[in-house]
Amino acid sequence: MKRTNNYITAYFEDDDDLKVGIKSLLEKKVTIHDVLTPFAVHGLDHLLNFKRSRIPKVGFISGMVGGVSTLLFQTWVFTKAWPLNIGGKPFFALPSFIPVTFELSVLIAAFGMIAAYFISSNIGPGSKNVIYDERVTDDRFLIIIDLEKDNSINDKEKIKEILKEIGAKGITIKE
Amino acid sequence: MYVSPIREPLIKGEKSYQTITDEISAPIAGKPGPLWYAGITFSTLALLVGLYAMGHTVWNGIGTWGANRTINWGWGITNFVWWVGIGHAGTFISAILLLFRQKWRTSINRAAEAMTIFAVICAALFPVLHLGRPWLAFFMAPYPSTRELWINFNSPLIWDVFAISTYFTVSLLFWYIGLIPDLGTIRDRVTSKGKKAFYKFMSFGWTGSAKHWQRHESISLILAGLAAPLVLSVHSIVSMDFATSLIPGWHTTIFPPYFVSGAIFSGFAMVLTLMIITRRTLNLQQYITVNHIESMNKIIIATGSIVGVAYITELFMSWYSGNIYEQYTFLNRATGPYWWAYWIMMTCNVISPQLLWFKKLRRNLTFTFILSIFINIGMWFERFVIVVTSLHRDFLPSSWSMYYPSITEVGIFIGTFGIFFTLFLLFIRFFPVIAISEVKSVLKSSSEKFIKK
Amino acid sequence: MNEKFKFEKSQKITFILLIVVGLLSLTAGILIYKDHPEKIWSNILLNNYYFLAIALCGIFFVAVHKIADSGWQASLIRIPESFASYIPIAAILMFLIYFGMHDIYHWTHTESLDHILQGKTAYLNMPFFFIRMFIYFALWILVSYGLRRLSIKSDFENDNKHFNKSRTYAALFVVLFAITSSTMSWDWLLSIDAHWYSTMFGWYIFSGALVTSIAAITLIILYLRKKGYMQYITESHLHDLGKYLFGFSIMWAYLWFVQFLFIWYANIQEETVYFVQRLEHFPILFYANVIINLVLPFFVLMSRGSKMKTSILATIAAIILIGHWIDLYLVIMPGSVGNSASVGFLEIGLSIGYAGLFLYVIFNSLTKASLVPVNHPFLEESLHYET
Repeated sequence: MKRTNNYITAYFEDDDDLKVGIKSLLEKKVTIHDVLTPFAVHGLDHLLNFKRSRIPKVGFISGMVGGVSTLLFQTWVFTKAWPLNIGGKPFFALPSFIPVTFELSVLIAAFGMIAAYFISSNIGPGSKNVIYDERVTDDRFLIIIDLEKDNSINDKEKIKEILKEIGAKGITIKE
Repeated sequence: MYVSPIREPLIKGEKSYQTITDEISAPIAGKPGPLWYAGITFSTLALLVGLYAMGHTVWNGIGTWGANRTINWGWGITNFVWWVGIGHAGTFISAILLLFRQKWRTSINRAAEAMTIFAVICAALFPVLHLGRPWLAFFMAPYPSTRELWINFNSPLIWDVFAISTYFTVSLLFWYIGLIPDLGTIRDRVTSKGKKAFYKFMSFGWTGSAKHWQRHESISLILAGLAAPLVLSVHSIVSMDFATSLIPGWHTTIFPPYFVSGAIFSGFAMVLTLMIITRRTLNLQQYITVNHIESMNKIIIATGSIVGVAYITELFMSWYSGNIYEQYTFLNRATGPYWWAYWIMMTCNVISPQLLWFKKLRRNLTFTFILSIFINIGMWFERFVIVVTSLHRDFLPSSWSMYYPSITEVGIFIGTFGIFFTLFLLFIRFFPVIAISEVKSVLKSSSEKFIKK
Repeated sequence: MNEKFKFEKSQKITFILLIVVGLLSLTAGILIYKDHPEKIWSNILLNNYYFLAIALCGIFFVAVHKIADSGWQASLIRIPESFASYIPIAAILMFLIYFGMHDIYHWTHTESLDHILQGKTAYLNMPFFFIRMFIYFALWILVSYGLRRLSIKSDFENDNKHFNKSRTYAALFVVLFAITSSTMSWDWLLSIDAHWYSTMFGWYIFSGALVTSIAAITLIILYLRKKGYMQYITESHLHDLGKYLFGFSIMWAYLWFVQFLFIWYANIQEETVYFVQRLEHFPILFYANVIINLVLPFFVLMSRGSKMKTSILATIAAIILIGHWIDLYLVIMPGSVGNSASVGFLEIGLSIGYAGLFLYVIFNSLTKASLVPVNHPFLEESLHYET
């Protein structure tokens, strides 16, 4: 979701006001580009109609891949590459392979999920995301409304009025 | 979200979102006090002592330690297990308590997780030093070598390598994922150019977008789900170093769950020790309240009692087994030359926590602080008892022996305290000690301001 | 919000029919296995233990949530609370074992014990065995009835004093059960293979019983919801019960696996004999045990949707109930009946009979009080609960 150069920002100072505000904006057919909040506001994803995150799926798949390949690798090492008799145990000593298999499934699942999270959210070392308002990480709940793609630029006065009506503060138009 | 009126608030005082930010990030913005400088001087000195002792060990070899042919694992492994155990509370608090939706965790999870990471670093030093030639530590990694021989996946020591390194990595990632939003907060507050650049880099470009928060919540939950069994597995695998052997006193099936609860027990004791000091020096009494201390004390008594049941089970089974070697080992523990270690362990770990059944004592800070130190000592002796008393009288009476630590080992142990406290003091100076965004998210359901008593 | 449960006639008849099936198969069993009384007694022991453990872990569920100040479960707590009423029945059934001691427990043959078992007679002897049994039941009944009485009392007086008092009972039960959950399994199960020992045994048996009990609670709740009761139990509550099933199944598997791993790894004959017998003579059940109790719940309950879906949750809970029956079967039968043990009409029929009895007692007990603890201080939290 790339933002264009024409947009409006406005903020609330309370999460409950924010939710009420978003509801009335959506009722009035204004498309919201993004909402920035200082913490994870409960129920915001439902309000904005987000799909469920696919990160759990990524975790499951990478965990399975990690687990299966670790198990296969250990089996290969002990039955094909260099079978070693250790304490009279069978070469394919399944119970012995479980601990490492478990650890590596967890490790690779964690790596997979974090990679997915960083890439999909465009965050990570050296990431250069725009900071709209420095107080978003403090106590402001900011709404960004795009004026080119999602809404028409001609609606800007109308949207401004709506924002005023619902009690949003600091309404700024960037063109 | 409805909250029952009989619940006690977790955040005291008239707090708004902004005051939370201000108060928690105050130590980072301000200059540290004399206490902090005194602390860091002291811990750096301890660290230097440790570095010297480690250098001495590496240069002259393991002969500088007190271990001998009968007791081939002494202080080194005792300290290793002790530190790993302490490292269990952090991930337990942030993962398992997250899954159980315990809101009180939000005030202590950040510091406890940091403690986990530092404790695991201290722990990992011991096996690496015990290798004798630590520069060959990479032999433990499964890499294709000209010897064409791979590592022994049948060995619990190799399982341990994987367990500890996975635990360290996942804990670090989990901790950092949680830190990103708070580092964003710090980035937007600091004014000096250098600090701004530092936190800008560290916060990974966090914006606070609703979509990012959704993913953040999702990944935190799933990582917690993964970290929960991971916590259990790590100390279980540590216990396998002992329990897969044939040595009476080591070979016992109850070890994994018993080690895990012992680890959480000692970890919480260390969290209490540190948090009782930290809340006072950083003025965080309204965030880490007596209710938090009481909740932690409840976990202490639960895990302490589980450990107690395990001790008694072991004792009973050694008699019940009808195996004379098992029976002797336990008799020797309680009445042999190391009886004092056994009874210190019993008193500190089983008897003293029972005092926490009294609500008055659970909510008494001085008592809790003293008790937490008692438990730290008791849990160290537990590992000492397991390692040394099981080994010192083996199947062959002619090789019976005693263990005396050398000054070098003492030096390394002091050094790990130096590492631990230096890192912790740096942490409270440069990172928010409490998860700012998480505390904000429970403000409306759990603060004194919003739930009227 | 007072909801009364009505024990319908059709339900009563069904449960009585189940009991009749049990009695018939028991009679047939006695006639057919005239020369193998150990088969009869072992089956009685198995079912005694299985249903008693469900009841006890139900009370444990209540007690732990109470002392942990948990809110979400307040609206469903009457179901596990009612399990208390089965404990006295279980006591009577358990004392029947007196007549079958010689058939189940090798150590009761005091005239022909080897020196190892002679060393154990201080603990394993008939008088002490029954004294312990008496103490367990006396304490369990005392505390669990106390918990239930206080809970029902609070329906009529809107005062938290009963709740606060019941927390003391809950703490007492947790402490009591921390010890007795291990000792009961040593007495009744571990001593069947009298030479064998494992320090983990008590906790491993307990974790299995906990999963079984949660599966039973879930199934009863799902049934009552289908009957039109307890409509306030939402997907969120089911989600949590599903998470418990998922989590505790993994915990059971963890304890099962490490016990196996250590014994397999150390390879000491006195210890491996236990698993060798089970692997050689009961291979199908041995592997089925792991697949049903770990692999199935792990993959089925992993996704969020399946924990919330009534049909999937009910199916997997029922499968878990069977799975842990198999687990207990593998603990008891190879030791007491020997390698010839098999699952036949007696095993299945008798268990059906016990299930009928258990359900009859529980449903009867549910009629005695409202299904909602109306004055529970956390009830509102539970009714507004969302995951």
